[in-house]
Amino acid sequence: MGRIVGIDLGTTNSLVAYLDPHTKQPNCIAGPYGSTLCPSVVSLDPDGNIIVGEPARRRLLTQPERTIYSVKRLMGRGVKDIQDELKLFPFRLDPSSSNVIRVRLGDKVFTPPEISAFILRELKNWAEAFFGEPVDRAVITVPAYFNDAQRQSTKDAGKIAGLEVLRLVNEPTAAALAYGLHEKQRGKAAVYDLGGGTFDISILKLISTEDGDIYQVLSTNGDTHLGGDDIDNLLQALVREKILQTDEIDFSPHGELAQELRKALISVKHELSEKETTTLRFPLPNGQVFTQEFTRGVLDALIRPVVDRTMGPVKLALADAKIKPEEIDEVVLVGGATRTPLIRRTVQEFFLRAPHIELNPDEVVALGAAVQANILEHGVSNMLLLDVTPLSLGIETYGGAVAKIITRNSPIPASAREMYTTGVDNQTGIDIHVLQGERELAKDCRSLARFTLKVPPAPAGLPRIEVKFLIDANGILQVGAKDLRTSEQHSIEVQPSYGISDSEIERILEESIEYAEQDFAERQAIEARTEAESILTATAKALSNPQSAMLGEEERAKIDAAVAGLKDSTSGNDYRLMRKKIDELNEATQHLAEVMMNSAVNTVLQGKNLADF
Amino acid sequence: MTATSSTQTTSSSTSDYFAIFGLPRKLAIDVAKLEQEFLQLSWKLHPDNFVNASESERELSLKRSSDLNDAYRALRDPVARVEYLLGIEGERVEGEKKQQAPPELLEEVFELNESLDELREAKESGGDLIELKNKLESAEDNFEQKLREVDAQLHSVTKDWDAAVDANVDAAARKKLFARMNELLNRRSYIRNLVTNVAKELAEV
Repeated sequence: MGRIVGIDLGTTNSLVAYLDPHTKQPNCIAGPYGSTLCPSVVSLDPDGNIIVGEPARRRLLTQPERTIYSVKRLMGRGVKDIQDELKLFPFRLDPSSSNVIRVRLGDKVFTPPEISAFILRELKNWAEAFFGEPVDRAVITVPAYFNDAQRQSTKDAGKIAGLEVLRLVNEPTAAALAYGLHEKQRGKAAVYDLGGGTFDISILKLISTEDGDIYQVLSTNGDTHLGGDDIDNLLQALVREKILQTDEIDFSPHGELAQELRKALISVKHELSEKETTTLRFPLPNGQVFTQEFTRGVLDALIRPVVDRTMGPVKLALADAKIKPEEIDEVVLVGGATRTPLIRRTVQEFFLRAPHIELNPDEVVALGAAVQANILEHGVSNMLLLDVTPLSLGIETYGGAVAKIITRNSPIPASAREMYTTGVDNQTGIDIHVLQGERELAKDCRSLARFTLKVPPAPAGLPRIEVKFLIDANGILQVGAKDLRTSEQHSIEVQPSYGISDSEIERILEESIEYAEQDFAERQAIEARTEAESILTATAKALSNPQSAMLGEEERAKIDAAVAGLKDSTSGNDYRLMRKKIDELNEATQHLAEVMMNSAVNTVLQGKNLADF
Repeated sequence: MTATSSTQTTSSSTSDYFAIFGLPRKLAIDVAKLEQEFLQLSWKLHPDNFVNASESERELSLKRSSDLNDAYRALRDPVARVEYLLGIEGERVEGEKKQQAPPELLEEVFELNESLDELREAKESGGDLIELKNKLESAEDNFEQKLREVDAQLHSVTKDWDAAVDANVDAAARKKLFARMNELLNRRSYIRNLVTNVAKELAEV
């Protein structure tokens, strides 16, 4: 079995982390660009190759029509749900979109889980390069307030990426786990998580027992469409309006210039978290440079409404947990947007308590996911996570009303049983509509699934079918039915209202998994072979130099053996073997390199390899 | 095709929630002790412990931990507890018409609805809201007080039930207690809806 990792699949950035078995501490894994943050951006180049992360982010500026960011906003949603998003984000929907969104990148069409899968696969590659071993299982985090369809889509993305998703963990809960490991904390904690696109608040109780520590979530609330992106959009609208006035340039909101401006304004936003003022200098197509000074006050005025919108869910979560703000012992801030001084101040004033910011707010969720991954890998541990369902589960009854069968903030797994019978003689089916949400009417709640319960023909009222609705530990619904007269179990095919069908996932899997995994190994092999060639050339060159006569016979034999070993490995495709042989040759030629270096007049290049000459 | 559903949950294939916690079918429960027991059982049953187990073990863990969670949810709340007891005894009878006011409240409910109508009208025509608001707030207080009274009565009937269990009373005596519980639960849910509605209207002023 391969390695297991924790993944934070974020709106803006995604991260992968693991638990170090020696230090027992979680660490994030850096990618090829040295950063642990993988921008959640995916681009399709004209040759049909998928590019993810930092290089894809750069392509936002050069090839916006082939590049997508913030895809998390589309997960588990239908076209009707995202009308507001479409005004603000450059999503190019394919006309075939309906209850499953299909996005266009260049000439190809992808579903949101497929695009998220590209990000997950990139992170999987990072981790495999780091471990030198395959990774096949993951704990993936989701916003606590994600509904069933959004969770299911995330799970689908993991499957498409070739990962067994052992658990979906709520982001604030993961953050609490990371902090709990960081320094032992007891009592009641509030986790305030404002990310790029989502806001969550969770209230937890941290309990020490003889068996270990329990993280019990008491309540959670949030808004899956509120985050740092909203602040960016407000800033952009403000500046675009100014540019329209001063330079009469009205650029399309989705073009390259808009992406340039978005990037420049994100820098402005970041700088204003550190300084009181900063200046934007933005070159325009007319040759002018648009210049404007920003004060923190201007930014605060834009952020204020966003912060205010977070306080509603905060109060609701506290009310559901039956806790007053002053009873909270610890406050934890998560998400890049919480670096903003105004947000920190507001949270501190509300809870009358300085928030924890010791752990990097960008990394803390991934770190927690790694902790949970470790717990699950070993089956039993001295930590236990008890989470809740964020939204009530209901079924439609007469007149379009909703009967709640599992209320929000119930501990999960949770279940409810409902009895069904027929209303007319020989009726063969009963229609059931499952919903999620707090409103009283079905039309105001989120439709999860509709299905028809098959009933053997019988006089009205005689059949007795028990349907069991179960929310599992991932917060995902399962449905089962039992005929109480025959005790026969029925499995129910539930077609989700939103999200892709199982058969489509199978098709995507067939199409994508293999080539993508081969791709990575192939790319690594090519790189390793190139490096091998360059060190082999350098070694041969050094050995032909008269100075090499200074080497002893034994040493010479060692080098020859290492050369032969490396040459041998390059005939295969195992990049890990090639890397190992490269390291061996480098070590064998350490002394040779020194000899060469001493002989080279005027060079003082200590610690270099032969290939550097 | 008609969809029919009865909102009542069956007891046939559900484990007895009281039994899960090793408790008799009595209504006085020490919630702090219940929570401790809940946490201890969670250590044993939670699906996190069975990720690497066989599929049948995983399924069993899912079933047992969901039963545990459902049981905890029902028993920790004194009102849900009474409702659950009636359910497993097969005695829960919901009010025939949920919208129907209990007779002794008719007059006050009528007045309240009148004030609510006036408030809605005043909101539309931009009339004076202050006086109506005060009136509704005092009505809200009044009904909240009634809610507390119902809760107190419910509490006293739970004591009667526990005493009846201890005394091992006959079926007729039990039926009488069940009828009383049903009546109180129905009245409680009626008043609570009323209070929620008034609060909603007031919040929009």
